[in-house]
Amino acid sequence: MFIINCPYCGERDQSEFTAGGEAHIERPKQPTELSDDEWAEFLFMRKNIKGVQFERWNHAHGCRKWFNVVRDTTNDKIHAVYKMGEKPSID
Amino acid sequence: MLNINFPKIDKKTFNDLELSLAEEKIKINIRGKNKDFFTKVGKITSIILPTEANTSSSNEKFNALWLSPDEWIIYFDGKDTNKVINNLFNEISKLNFGAITDISDHWVCINIKGRKTFDLLSSSSPFNFNSFKKSKNNVAQTVLNHTDVIIHHKEVDDVNLFVRRSFAEDLWLWINDSARFL
Ligand SMILES: [Zn+2]
Repeated sequence: MFIINCPYCGERDQSEFTAGGEAHIERPKQPTELSDDEWAEFLFMRKNIKGVQFERWNHAHGCRKWFNVVRDTTNDKIHAVYKMGEKPSID
Repeated sequence: MLNINFPKIDKKTFNDLELSLAEEKIKINIRGKNKDFFTKVGKITSIILPTEANTSSSNEKFNALWLSPDEWIIYFDGKDTNKVINNLFNEISKLNFGAITDISDHWVCINIKGRKTFDLLSSSSPFNFNSFKKSKNNVAQTVLNHTDVIIHHKEVDDVNLFVRRSFAEDLWLWINDSARFL
C-alpha cells in the first residue's frame, strides 16, 4: 500500500486509484499505413521496467481524472506526479 | 423526481450518533469550465462554484460541492425544483456552456451527525479525516465500506453522505451495523 498525491485532490490512499499502464505511448498518426507487427507493437508491447517507470493512473474513486506518475516499481517510491500534457519535474 | 423506490431508511439513534435519510433532496450534476458557465450558474443559483479542491459553498438554498476541476454537485431541498433545473438546463446545456444533469434519483443522501460521526466513517474508509473533520464545508469523494461516496461536512460533526441508490441499502445496513460497535 502507498499514497498517491493526486494533482487535483491531494494525498489519497492507493486503493482509491486504478493503474492505467505505461504513459506517453503515442497513437500512430496513420494506423492504416502500419504493418500488423508495427500495430501490435503499439497496441500490446510495454516496457514493464524494473525500476523507475512512467505510468498513467486514474483517481477512480475520487475526482476520476487521469494523470501521470513516475514510480519506482521495485519499491513503490513515487518520484513525481503531473497532469496530462505536462512535463514531470523529477527529484 | 421519478416514482421509484428509495431504500428503507428510518431514523436511527445511537450513542453520540444519529442517522437519517436526507430526502427529498434534489441533486444536480453540473459540468463546465468557461467564464460564461460560471456567470450563468451564479445568476441562477446566487452561488459561486468552489474552485478550490475538496471544498463546498452554500447559501440559504443551495449547496455546491467540488467534485473535480470542471464538475460540481448542487443539492437543495425540493421546492421550485423544475424551475431551477429548467433554468439551468436552458441557460447552460442548451447553449453549450456546459452540461446539467438531474441526478436526484441516482444518488441517496444520508445524514450522519453526532460526536462519533468521523469514528464511524474512519472505520471503513482509506480517507484521512484528521484535517477534514476540523473545518466544515470540506468535501471528499472516497470509498466507504467498498462503496463510492461523496461526503459533505456541512456543520461540525454533521455530514451529508451521498451514495448511489443501488448501493444505498447495502451501505445503510453496514452503517447501522458499524454504529452499534462504536
Ligand atoms: Zn483526484
